[in-house]
Amino acid sequence: MASTIGSVPPQLPLFRAVASSTKQIYQLLKCISFSAKVDVQLTHDGIRFAADHSRVMQGVAFLDHSLFTTYTLNWPETAKTTPRFQMNLSAFLEALKIFGATDAAAKAAKTDADPYRSNLRNYRPDAFSHQTLGMPGTCCLVYEQDGSSLSVILEESDIRTQCNIVTYTPEFPDDIPFDRENLDFKIIMQARWLLDSLSELAPLSPVRITVSALPNAPYLKLASGGAAGSASVDFSNGRDLLETFSVREPWVQRFKFDLIKSASEAMRIATKVSFRGDGQGVLSLQFMVETEGSPVSFLDFRFVPYITQEDEESESETDGDN
Amino acid sequence: MAVLKFTLSENGVNVLRDALMCLGKFSEEVSLEAERDKLVLTALNTSKSAYACVTFAANRFFSKYHYAGVAQYRDKFFCKLYNRVLLSLFRSRSGDPLHEREKDTTIDRCDVIITDEPGKKSRFVAQIVFRNGITTKYRLPFEVSPQVHAKFNKTEVTSNWAISSRTLRQLLDHFGPGIDYLDIHGEEETVNFTCFTEKAANNDEVLKKPLQTSIAVARDEFDEFNVEEENLHIVISVKDFRAIVFHASILGLDVFANYSLPAKPMQLRYDGDGIKCKFLLMSVGERGTPSQRTKKTRTNAKMPPGPQLEETVSRTGSHAPTPAPAPAPITPQSRINPIPSLRPPIERPSQRPPPATLESESLFVAQDNDEQWEPVNVDEDEEEEEDARLGWDTSGNPNPSAMNMRTVMGNQPSAPQPARDHEFDPDLSQLEPTQRLSQVRKFGLFGD
Repeated sequence: MASTIGSVPPQLPLFRAVASSTKQIYQLLKCISFSAKVDVQLTHDGIRFAADHSRVMQGVAFLDHSLFTTYTLNWPETAKTTPRFQMNLSAFLEALKIFGATDAAAKAAKTDADPYRSNLRNYRPDAFSHQTLGMPGTCCLVYEQDGSSLSVILEESDIRTQCNIVTYTPEFPDDIPFDRENLDFKIIMQARWLLDSLSELAPLSPVRITVSALPNAPYLKLASGGAAGSASVDFSNGRDLLETFSVREPWVQRFKFDLIKSASEAMRIATKVSFRGDGQGVLSLQFMVETEGSPVSFLDFRFVPYITQEDEESESETDGDN
Repeated sequence: MAVLKFTLSENGVNVLRDALMCLGKFSEEVSLEAERDKLVLTALNTSKSAYACVTFAANRFFSKYHYAGVAQYRDKFFCKLYNRVLLSLFRSRSGDPLHEREKDTTIDRCDVIITDEPGKKSRFVAQIVFRNGITTKYRLPFEVSPQVHAKFNKTEVTSNWAISSRTLRQLLDHFGPGIDYLDIHGEEETVNFTCFTEKAANNDEVLKKPLQTSIAVARDEFDEFNVEEENLHIVISVKDFRAIVFHASILGLDVFANYSLPAKPMQLRYDGDGIKCKFLLMSVGERGTPSQRTKKTRTNAKMPPGPQLEETVSRTGSHAPTPAPAPAPITPQSRINPIPSLRPPIERPSQRPPPATLESESLFVAQDNDEQWEPVNVDEDEEEEEDARLGWDTSGNPNPSAMNMRTVMGNQPSAPQPARDHEFDPDLSQLEPTQRLSQVRKFGLFGD
């Protein structure tokens, strides 16, 4: 930490956050990397990254300020708006990937120099790696002022890498409206079950997925149909798989399969998912990500359904064939 | 009322998956035939040179099995399904890593129901119940079409051997990449498995040519080995053989082989508890037999055989038990009414429906007018041209492979070769070939 103090300019930047590990930040942001650009909002509680796909799918990752060792935002607490900008998410992810690369490179160099190590000890943790010695380096995010580029400064041992990522004027896309007051159903279950269900449907390469939440069996049903046949997954025998289950009225909506599938990275890393649908048919998937040694993070996805046509719906209900 | 209903345990699903994987190596489609006491899955490859058949005994393999003979399917029901979908349906699922006990055992049971009756959609419905309570239901469409069964004449068998699949599996490890054929031939103390390819290598790729590997296996390794003809070479496709051995080794069964002569089918079979597997592979005929059909079926994708082939030809040809038929007079008629001769060599890689050959007559029961596979727009001119090409291709050019390469590379018409085969002289004088038909074909000008 001491080394970075010297690099702070006399005038305080608008925003500065320091993290000692980028692993979790990277993991969380990877889940919403389905679109190239991401909307970033800096708040006193943390950073909010929102990705958007044609206004029908939205993914939000919130990096809580507790993920950082230092977190300062020089912005009046009482202000109505907070700094906001847009940037390229994949560039940001690439920059975060650099972190830890020097350690790996140093190890590779040592392996080359020492054939004995290369044969036998290659897989073992190195007693002299920076990680083990407690000098893991730092990752510093600096946003000097409104409109400037976002700097990612990575410092490991003697190497300092600075990446400046161009920021754009925010587009201010409206969030997909999700009416928390008018929920038709709410189910909390292990995210893994959802991932398993999707992988059961995926082999038939469906275009659409029908999500049904019903007050009685089969409770929750995911169905899809394609040229090769149709498939459905239900939880009728596994009522206890659903931790929380409340359905106000039967809810059947259809979504684009590929969109739901692009949230599968989140299903993989999350422990629990809260599965909610509102009166308008908007589906909300909220994932809880737990990692040892760091606080719980949340990922939020919202999906806009296809317009329901009466005849189509009845057809897919009876057989699931399209 | 469903035509067929059966239930599989998790182990049953695994065995079924292995069988489907093996059948999938032969064809994209799998035919299903259900009877009261058994369920038969078969696959026939597109060139009809390999046939695979797996029979499951109703009382041993399934936890429950019920066949209801409905109106039009009193005794048996048959349909065709797309294998890729079935494989994804019965694929192995990774268990729950959090619960040690359920790590690999995720499927509780699998119920399959086939419905085919008026007023209802005909579907193959598979319902998989997982241990954690999730239920998956698949509805697959199918095509009702009778199975094609390959017949094997057991009375013709002159050679047979039996060996454990484990030993065969170890042999497979020594086969190099890029090989197509496997030559099995017995010597005094050993049995030789030689794998090779007939693909010609380009000039600059000669060094990358696949290895010809020969593995000598002591006769003791075989449970039995009876080959009547000494030095009988039987050549089959490695791809098919590999699929069979791999499947047999999963089941850990002994493989029995029955065959007679080259160009006659070879039967491989292994029987387990509740499962019987039978395979018929067409063995390649004596390579190099001068037959005009050989040339005809050779496509532009394939180069004429290289020198390596010629060597093996002389070897196999000399010890061949059957006399090579004299070259038939090459006339257009001979193509339409194929003379019952040996199966054309090296025809296997062709992906299109094969022309009518003896192969389909000898192997398969169901054969409808084979002539329909004959090239449609072959007119007289083209035939003459091809015949002419065949004339000097076999006789005039000692090294057709290299010759062909050079012409392709230089993109120049081949110099007219002095045709020694006087039978074609009139043709050549009338119509001198300027370009090889094989070169023209790749532009899709002639349908073959």
